[in-house]
Amino acid sequence: MQLDWSGILSGPPVEWLKTGVATTLAVTLAGSLLTVLLTLCLLTLRLSGHKASQALAAAVTELFRNTPLLVQILFWYFGAYNLLPLGLRHWINDDHPWATLPGNVPLLSPEFLASAWGLGLFTAVFVAEEIRAGLSAVSPGQSEAALSQGFTRWQTLRWVLLPQALANSFQPVIGQFLNLMKLSSLATAIGLWEITYQVRQIESYNSHALEAFAVGTAFYLAIGLVMGRGLQRLDPAKRRRPALSAAPATPVEVRDAV
Amino acid sequence: MLFDAGVILNNLDYLLWGRLGQGEPGGLLLTVLISLISGIASLALGVPMGLLAWSNPGLTRRLLFWWADLIRGIPLIFVIFWVYFLVPALLGGDVPGAMSVILALAWFTSAAVMHSTVAGLEALPKGQSEAALASGMSRLQTLRWVLLPQALRNLTPSFVGLFASLIKDTSLAFILNVPELTMVASQVNNRTQLYPAEIFLFTAALYFVLCGGLSWFGRRLTANRTA
Amino acid sequence: MSEDTSPIIEFRRVEKAFGPHPVIRGIDLSVKRGEVVVICGPSGSGKSTLIRLINRLESLSGGDILIEGKSTARLGASDLRRLRTSVGFVFQQFNLYPHLTAHENITLALDKVLKLSKAEADERASGLLARVGLGDKGNQYPAQLSGGQQQRVAIARTLATQPQILLFDEPTSALDPEMIGEVLAVIRQLAESGSTMLVVTHEMGFAREVADRVVFIDQGQILEDAPPSQFFGATKHPRARHFLKQLLSPLHADGE
Repeated sequence: MQLDWSGILSGPPVEWLKTGVATTLAVTLAGSLLTVLLTLCLLTLRLSGHKASQALAAAVTELFRNTPLLVQILFWYFGAYNLLPLGLRHWINDDHPWATLPGNVPLLSPEFLASAWGLGLFTAVFVAEEIRAGLSAVSPGQSEAALSQGFTRWQTLRWVLLPQALANSFQPVIGQFLNLMKLSSLATAIGLWEITYQVRQIESYNSHALEAFAVGTAFYLAIGLVMGRGLQRLDPAKRRRPALSAAPATPVEVRDAV
Repeated sequence: MLFDAGVILNNLDYLLWGRLGQGEPGGLLLTVLISLISGIASLALGVPMGLLAWSNPGLTRRLLFWWADLIRGIPLIFVIFWVYFLVPALLGGDVPGAMSVILALAWFTSAAVMHSTVAGLEALPKGQSEAALASGMSRLQTLRWVLLPQALRNLTPSFVGLFASLIKDTSLAFILNVPELTMVASQVNNRTQLYPAEIFLFTAALYFVLCGGLSWFGRRLTANRTA
Repeated sequence: MSEDTSPIIEFRRVEKAFGPHPVIRGIDLSVKRGEVVVICGPSGSGKSTLIRLINRLESLSGGDILIEGKSTARLGASDLRRLRTSVGFVFQQFNLYPHLTAHENITLALDKVLKLSKAEADERASGLLARVGLGDKGNQYPAQLSGGQQQRVAIARTLATQPQILLFDEPTSALDPEMIGEVLAVIRQLAESGSTMLVVTHEMGFAREVADRVVFIDQGQILEDAPPSQFFGATKHPRARHFLKQLLSPLHADGE
């Protein structure tokens, strides 16, 4: 089995790979931003205390968790995109130099928009559920203590319960964002020029399948590593541990998991 | 937006079981078949690996976990491609698309099964193995008769959840033109061109019933356990 | 000043049921300003529920509770919050906020509920930590403190809003024996400084030395209510007598 690396590390394949990496990074970023926004919306609905909004959030969650992301993206791209007003679609299809990444990656394309939206919504549903699980793991004594001090329900959520819920659920939440990055590979199905698409392109160009897939794998692993390390730095629980220098007290009871 | 159910009804048999009449199962039927075979394979692979990792903490566990993280660190689509391109290169001969998908899914999911198995064994109270060992049982016997039965029973909801994910992941077979449900739906869409919303909504609904039903079943199992 | 003798807390025919199960059955109780009342009783007697009704952690099923002469049966949301800042509650499980330092645990309510300036809040918090003997532990997180220290921070946190009434729900029941003393000492100091306090506890030594009155409650009713000398020396109600015997000499309680 001969491996010919020069076949993919020179000529058109290199440009394709660059475009692929840029697109993957861009759609991951856009999707992640959407995730944060949509998670806030979902949590607001869930925690509102109104039966109707809670039911809506629950329905959306069940729907998007139990259908494949690929089908969702196909729906957004083929089904929903055409429901946008015609004028808007024309505007999106025009050339916009301000919305083009180096390597000729258009950010305003139906493929990019459908992928970012599909990824963002899908991931938001899972992140919101993780935070909700983190919330129910907070002991009820916490809200009793806060209410006893005169906090409103929203203040209790904002200052006492949600910080703990986020700390509890931080690791799974990081996992969801890393998943988003990996799932961006599905956008190849609608023709987004991300890494997987480009790798297949190279494969059909000069049949260097193994080399191309090896490079693609390396890229995904590298991006995942960097993203993972970066996100770990944001962990609230890790920042909460000042260096125990002088007199460490001996905690008698193991408190709630911080 | 008018919802035209006609396109669904006209293609219903194709969506549900593909070209079964010509010996090529497809659609929903193929999805279920692939899921079942991959699911069983991932259990057959993952549980023993979990046992191995749990009984041999240290190098063995580190290697197995490292391997699992590697698999899960790349997109599932890539794992499918690797199997599709690598296996023929190593063993000669072609691997049909469906088989590649099954192997890839089994491999990918077995990593999660392994992690769950280890977690399930660690979650058992230490007193269980202490009691068994104190009565003279060997480590292997303790595993076989005391720990594993309990762990597997506790893990059933978690495995059901993994299986539901597996069903959704079969949609990736699309990429190798395997005629499972998503591929078939896409073909119908390409052919008819005018009804994408209806087609993909119906497809989503089929998955929803399958996965949602499983998830609900898994939650029922957990509820019964904690009751 | 006639205000000194009118009750600051008054229970009038208070009833509380959880679903079909009555837990408080028609209780009348009056507490004067500055009084220290210890409430005791067997488990399930309703003693915790009794004080939780005061700051509305549980809602009334019947009757009324008057605080400073004003009914609290039907309070709007903002009035309820105002009530809660003037009634302090110390929990058995401390319930400190684990993601905040000891100092921040105290300043949080001062900032968000009382809207004090940062300087005022910090000053008050530091003063309170010093008062409970933990002036140097302000920067530590609850997980780094012992149980006794955590409960003392919890008490400081409760005092921060300068409440008129202090409620203690078995404040030492979750502590290892060697730490009970430090917490009781702080509670005793508060009692001696003239606070109005209701303390649910099994610590009979504390009751004997610090309480103005001891109240025995069983199956949702007050069966004995007397100053400590009479409560311990000349217990009237047979169930109260039985309870005291169980508490004070458990190996010999049965077979009376």
